[in-house]
Amino acid sequence: MDTKTLLEKYFDGSLSKDEKIDFERLLAEDSSFRDEFEFEKNVKSAITLNKRDELKKMLHSFETTKKPKKSFYWIYAAASIMIFVGLFTWKNFSTTNYDTLFDEYYQTYPNTVSPTVRGTTSTDIQSNAFYAYDSGNYQEAIALFSEIYSKNGDDFALFYKGLSLIELQKYEEALVVLQKSNSIKISTFEPYFLWYSALIHIKLQNKKEASLQLKLLIESENPLKEVAKKLLSEIE
Amino acid sequence: MNNHINLIDLFKKNDERIIRKFYNEHKNGFILFAKRYKITNDDIVDIYQEAIIALIENAKKGKIDSLQSSVSTYFFSIGKFMIFQKLKKENSKFSLQDFSSLEYIDENYTEENFNTQVALLQLGLQKMGEKCKRILELFYYEEKKMDEIKELLGYDSKDVLKSQKSRCLKQLKDSIKEN
Repeated sequence: MDTKTLLEKYFDGSLSKDEKIDFERLLAEDSSFRDEFEFEKNVKSAITLNKRDELKKMLHSFETTKKPKKSFYWIYAAASIMIFVGLFTWKNFSTTNYDTLFDEYYQTYPNTVSPTVRGTTSTDIQSNAFYAYDSGNYQEAIALFSEIYSKNGDDFALFYKGLSLIELQKYEEALVVLQKSNSIKISTFEPYFLWYSALIHIKLQNKKEASLQLKLLIESENPLKEVAKKLLSEIE
Repeated sequence: MNNHINLIDLFKKNDERIIRKFYNEHKNGFILFAKRYKITNDDIVDIYQEAIIALIENAKKGKIDSLQSSVSTYFFSIGKFMIFQKLKKENSKFSLQDFSSLEYIDENYTEENFNTQVALLQLGLQKMGEKCKRILELFYYEEKKMDEIKELLGYDSKDVLKSQKSRCLKQLKDSIKEN
């Protein structure tokens, strides 16, 4: 096989086992082959770095063209107009609007558990449950997670079942499911159970219950402590 | 999943609108997850951007054409892997359980081959004409076979394409010699 073809097959990933051996041998013995290889390898690196820089620029631009969160923008605009009218406008902005708060703080929690299924049809119930969850088939997801939970008592099954119910706007049911977590001892999801319970209480306008959940979050060391503090200050 | 075939196609075309949409949709979820660990906010954003870039690159290389799960889950597995790498590097504590089901990024992914010639080539490539640039990108970056490139660019014969590619490489080589 001529050297040009060998190099081509190296870069398009089609070298056979035998061809690989020839390639290695040539690399060791033939210095002009080695030079040409090094050059093309450098070309590949250069193109890759350029393409990644282009993408990086694009992504950076997403960060900087993001407008600040709506509420701040409008508060400043309104305040500067209203500043001569007085504190009247501030009073309006400080009334608790539960729905707005819920929308602001609620985010669909991503699937952080299920394996990536590649090229194999998986009949594994866990994969199917997460596939349904990812696809937005929350009804199906609920059924499957319920099954997993009744079989194994896994905390993630309870968690994602609760989240699916929230997505379907079945808030009371979701609450019941999430409260069951109290019977599970140590769970990596524990702070998140509290967090989403708090958010549901806010949606249902149960200020007292919401505060309780948030205070529990603030008491211990966990990643949601800061945002829980923030939300708590907004409802009190 | 019809709509994810569309998504991958648009990633291959570098469609800025769809990339921005994906970027904005997944950022908060990613940050929510990453906040469990001792990583600064700036680092989280860096890792997030790197993961997006890896996703788009893998799309272009045809690596996710037969993806069974959702693109979001796949993307998230990449992100998790990058967080995992960072934590290992810094010897941070974490629970192995959190890091099951990772999408391992090729060890060749981290572009560590960097030297003067690479830097000069980067400049040379930027000055290169579109025709040559495209051929070299399709071959070296998207790792496509010459047959495929021939079809894509509408060349009549593979030999004609091969000689064009050789000329492009020679042109590139000469352009950096002048420096």
